[in-house]
Amino acid sequence: MNIFEKIIINILLFISLTIDINAQDSNFEGSWELSLQDGARTLIGTLEIEKQGSTWEGHLEGGPVEIIIDANEIEIIADSRDVRGFIFNRRLKGKIVNDQMSGSYRQEGAAAQKEKPGTWKAKRDSSVISQSLLPNPQDISGIWTATQELDFRKYTMSLTKKGNDWLKVYLPYYDQPDVRCTSIGLPSLVTYSFPFEILKSNDRYTFLYEYQGKTRRIWMEKDKPSSYMPPSRMGFSKGIWEGDTLVITSNLFEKTIRDFRGELVSENAEIEERYSLSSDGQKLNAIITIKDPENYRRNPTRRRQWVRDKTTEIFPYTCDPDSFYLPMYENDEMQMYIDRSHLRF
Amino acid sequence: MKNLKYFLIFTFQLFPNYLPGHHSFTAEFTAEKTIIIEGVIKEVWFRNPHVRYLLEVSNENEAEIWDLRGSPVVWLARKGWRRDSIKIGDQISVSGFPGHGEKKLLSIIEVTLSDGSKLIDKAPR
Repeated sequence: MNIFEKIIINILLFISLTIDINAQDSNFEGSWELSLQDGARTLIGTLEIEKQGSTWEGHLEGGPVEIIIDANEIEIIADSRDVRGFIFNRRLKGKIVNDQMSGSYRQEGAAAQKEKPGTWKAKRDSSVISQSLLPNPQDISGIWTATQELDFRKYTMSLTKKGNDWLKVYLPYYDQPDVRCTSIGLPSLVTYSFPFEILKSNDRYTFLYEYQGKTRRIWMEKDKPSSYMPPSRMGFSKGIWEGDTLVITSNLFEKTIRDFRGELVSENAEIEERYSLSSDGQKLNAIITIKDPENYRRNPTRRRQWVRDKTTEIFPYTCDPDSFYLPMYENDEMQMYIDRSHLRF
Repeated sequence: MKNLKYFLIFTFQLFPNYLPGHHSFTAEFTAEKTIIIEGVIKEVWFRNPHVRYLLEVSNENEAEIWDLRGSPVVWLARKGWRRDSIKIGDQISVSGFPGHGEKKLLSIIEVTLSDGSKLIDKAPR
């Protein structure tokens, strides 16, 4: 073999290797159903991976994640908040083999809710939402107690400029509605870890939330609110059964915030909740999606699970904001708080 | 400060999970460490959206007032933590996440009463 032939062979080898690497890389693109094992609990989320030029972009449940890809290896860094509100990251490392990803993960950062290293896997997202299913109503009435299953509690979201501008002026805690006993509304009320009760009537479901003692009606026959119904934190909710999934679409909102971070949910938002029962009827799962293009470039998603618990009672909730206002007075923060009045709702 | 009865705890494994936080703890408290303080209860607010106690912690030269914050009443009641569980004048020891900087603020994890019994804020799994 002469020198010329060697050069040609090396070039061909390099090209074939490059094509192979690119082919491996491109396998990561798409929408994935990500599941992560934290001890006995399983978290589920939609992971979207896209290639933008030479860089990778990832989103988990609508919020940005850092993606590092090297041939068939992937690293995903996703922020979250624990049940107490402290923020941390999960670093997932793994490989793609036969169009499925899997690997191990560990928690990083200071969190109250510690997670031991665990495993994760992802398969192509095959969920298909069919609206042509015949209604097959399920018995979802009863008292439901929240578990810590399913929800990644993705912390940061992919915001529009307007959403980012709002967040820059938001002051966590001080601007949060419920600390001063004002309704937190949707979607937070659905995602908080307090029990709620579902009552069924002929034309509606009534959801009674323990937290803040709030009531919500899901209208099954009425398509829209009366013209004089005012906007509210709970909005107007219309429900339909798509097969055995109760799909609730809500609008007519007042402004509120999505979560502790303080991202805005606008008056024009639409919130979709999809409730489904486990086969034994003892678990209720929900996927909650915010559709608010004014503030979010992608739809934020949360997941919740509740279990039937006959021992749980819904307690009365009497709220007194003294514990919020008094410390501000003692710490000479009242003027600051008053000066920010125009930023609260 | 040397006689101030608090001790840093650098491990969190003792307290694997906690109360269902209902507002931004990150804004007020740090998860970087937990501390334990001892003192006498001076004020009690057993109300939603969260309970609050003022604790007087004795120092060699002066007394410090610490602001203790806990879960909503509905959550504590479910765990048997009632209005009269901690009363003004009670001597307690309490562990929790401190406030940022020098703030004498504590997010309660566990309270030990003078009879040795404990009150714990623990979240559901």
